[in-house]
Amino acid sequence: MTALAQSLVPASVPVPDAFEARTNATFEALMWALSRPGTVQTLPAPGMKGLVEALVDRECKVFCDDADLSDFVAFTGAALMPAAAADHAFMGLDRAEGLKNLEQIPVGSALYPDDGATVVAFARFGEGQKLRLTGPGIETSVEITLGGLVPGLWALRAARSRYPAGFDMFFICGTSVIGLPRSTLIEVL
Amino acid sequence: MAYVATRGGARAIDQAERLYRAELGQIDASRVDAVRRALPMLIDRVMGEASLYEPDLAALALAQAGGDLYEAVLLLRAWRTTQPRLAIAEPVRQEQLITHRRISAAFKDIPGGQILGPTLDYAHRLLATDVLQGRPFTPAPVTPAATAAPAYQPSLAAWQKAQGLVADPLRADVAPDAIPDLTREPLLFPAKRAHTLQSLARADTGGMLTLGYAAMRGYGNAHPTVNELRLAEAEVRVTHPRGTVFSAGRVKVSQAEVTSKGKSGQLSLGFCATLGWNEVKVISGATLDLNAAAAPKGSPVEEEFFLYHTEPVEASGFCIHFKLPHYVTFQSSLDALRGAKASAAPQSEQVPS
Amino acid sequence: MSIASLTKAWQPMSYGFLDASAKRELRRKMLKAIAVPGCQMPYASREVPMARGWGTGGLQVTLTLLKPSSVVKVIDQGADDSVNAASIRSFLSKVSGAAETWDTLAASLIQSRHRIPEERLHAGQILVLQVPNPEPLRPVEPNMSVARQMHADADYGRLWLILYEQIVRSGRIMEGAAYPSVVNGRHVMTPSPIPRWDVPKLHMAQHLTFLSAGREKRLYAVPPFTKVEPLVFSDVPFKVEDHGALTCHRSGVSGFYMNEIPQDNGGSAFELSDSHLGIKAIRKAEGEADRIGATWYRNGQLA
Repeated sequence: MTALAQSLVPASVPVPDAFEARTNATFEALMWALSRPGTVQTLPAPGMKGLVEALVDRECKVFCDDADLSDFVAFTGAALMPAAAADHAFMGLDRAEGLKNLEQIPVGSALYPDDGATVVAFARFGEGQKLRLTGPGIETSVEITLGGLVPGLWALRAARSRYPAGFDMFFICGTSVIGLPRSTLIEVL
Repeated sequence: MAYVATRGGARAIDQAERLYRAELGQIDASRVDAVRRALPMLIDRVMGEASLYEPDLAALALAQAGGDLYEAVLLLRAWRTTQPRLAIAEPVRQEQLITHRRISAAFKDIPGGQILGPTLDYAHRLLATDVLQGRPFTPAPVTPAATAAPAYQPSLAAWQKAQGLVADPLRADVAPDAIPDLTREPLLFPAKRAHTLQSLARADTGGMLTLGYAAMRGYGNAHPTVNELRLAEAEVRVTHPRGTVFSAGRVKVSQAEVTSKGKSGQLSLGFCATLGWNEVKVISGATLDLNAAAAPKGSPVEEEFFLYHTEPVEASGFCIHFKLPHYVTFQSSLDALRGAKASAAPQSEQVPS
Repeated sequence: MSIASLTKAWQPMSYGFLDASAKRELRRKMLKAIAVPGCQMPYASREVPMARGWGTGGLQVTLTLLKPSSVVKVIDQGADDSVNAASIRSFLSKVSGAAETWDTLAASLIQSRHRIPEERLHAGQILVLQVPNPEPLRPVEPNMSVARQMHADADYGRLWLILYEQIVRSGRIMEGAAYPSVVNGRHVMTPSPIPRWDVPKLHMAQHLTFLSAGREKRLYAVPPFTKVEPLVFSDVPFKVEDHGALTCHRSGVSGFYMNEIPQDNGGSAFELSDSHLGIKAIRKAEGEADRIGATWYRNGQLA
């Protein structure tokens, strides 16, 4: 390295601060959750706040139906929006109102599939509705059970999916996360 | 370890960089200062293409790159990437520009007057070779006008709009702090107006001239008349977190508006503005903007065509990337060629004995 | 709320060079890319301290993923010590503290230009391919807005047509590297200019692949266990390069993708394109303990 080049890079080995380490680990969990639908990945901290930190900022439009979390979202600079205009939705899907909101969530278009939103909701893993998943990220098929979700959720998801348009979902249970991208075919067993 | 002996990439690139930097020698503050003071036009050009207004950093980039413009712009863009966004300035309005030069070719005289300001337009371009003989060139002093031109000048297009000569373009209703920003989101087509103007502002001066000139020569559908060309300074007005709006400083800006007779019986306008004073760039850019509306797909005056191809960092980077090894892909093509040749060869070529 | 909670200590450079906002945008787009395999997602693409066309797209993805425990391998044309690979690798480790490796098996993250290593990548590994031109339709449609509409309509007829024309004209498909392939039965992507030899390695793989074009500002992904099928006609099968029978003159290994080295005598010698596989083979022959992992090809045939 020349003297000049040497002065351009940090002298010591860089160390991520707590925020960087946390958001990096959160994203890694989300990335593998979406890459291997149905597998349970581990978040560095329980709840949705970590996802907000890792993904959302002033470039985002966020739907959030939880007052406490809304304050946290607003702090990132993101615009709080109704479901129909959101690119990220942190929402309750344990009640009928959740279905109404999900009906509004943007699915993008064949021209711009990336306009389909990312939906984050709480669920209980290992109980409730049994689902069989097939599609990218799954070698043959995988079965999971997700509980604490409003009936009709999977029918609504199927009705609104027009691949490559659709929305992508993350379910959170404590520090565990399961991802269901729009590319996953879900069979309700 | 015989495999590695003939390679040694890490050492080679280190020494190659040293060889380049050795030629430039030590870079100190006085060199940077000299570059900044001696080459204001070049500094302006680099700041415009880098979309980073900081003359000292631009001078440093030029010194560090040894005057290679594309390298200097890349250095500044990469540095800009690392900077936080502290505030979003208020939009600059034409009538608030502190105007040094403002001319129109469309009218003999215009409201507010033709202000020549600083220009070499009418100078004889004679090389001052005396300087090399030890006789310095000292510019003659400027004699101030009896009455100074007003700092603020009205917009000519506003007069034309009032006359019904040009259509007032549809205004996109965007909050000032929500104006689409290319550095935060991708350029997609049809481009948002803000993206188009921002792209033009950041474009490569030479590339813009090439395509703008092609349009002027006849590869466009509209012949430009310079409606208004302006060199000015703009206040950068930002809002303090407490709510006060204040000026954080001034930046040099140039802008051009060109016009031609539109099909609707009104004048059409093309517009381009950039940081720094750079007349060739804004006239070329405005000409491209003027032509974009009716451009056929794939023509040099189509928005997608000229915005993609005048992006200096992308164009120059891609051009020099062809120096990288491509032997894997080349081998793949060779395989296809040989395969085709082998299957095309006649089965037997023996000469009968 | 305190002032301190709104600010942070000054640093000369963010961890991993990119600032938090750039990383968040990359993360959002990487998730969308995984959700719609093979579909090009537009992103802002920040300027990084390397020229466009030199791996800036791959670099942004890698920088977003890097953490101190990452082990990173960078190759160009299959070689770890190729000049640009060496430059990228040293930048990555300097800004992140990640460990560098040449060993495919040891890497958690592999950034590559034009090759996929010969040793099978395993679950948990991420391959980041640098992409010069992300648009497989460019040869038939240079206008990106029109090409986007064609992807939306799955209108790939003109791509099939050029393949057909090649067969008529040359007796075979003449595509070299960057062979257009259908992902998840829906989107045609260019796998980046990897040789045809490497395309089957993406099909139903264990690892996750990101493909990122910094200059063109597009990023797409092939998740694990995703179908990647080269465009072919049912009666004209996909053909990888005819390298299965070639032998590396340095390592004596045969059955992998080779670099051809023209010789003074008018002939050619061949050497392994995956340079570290060559090193491992030589070391092994010299009695050193070095593990060669399972390879995608065995005896020159896809295993």
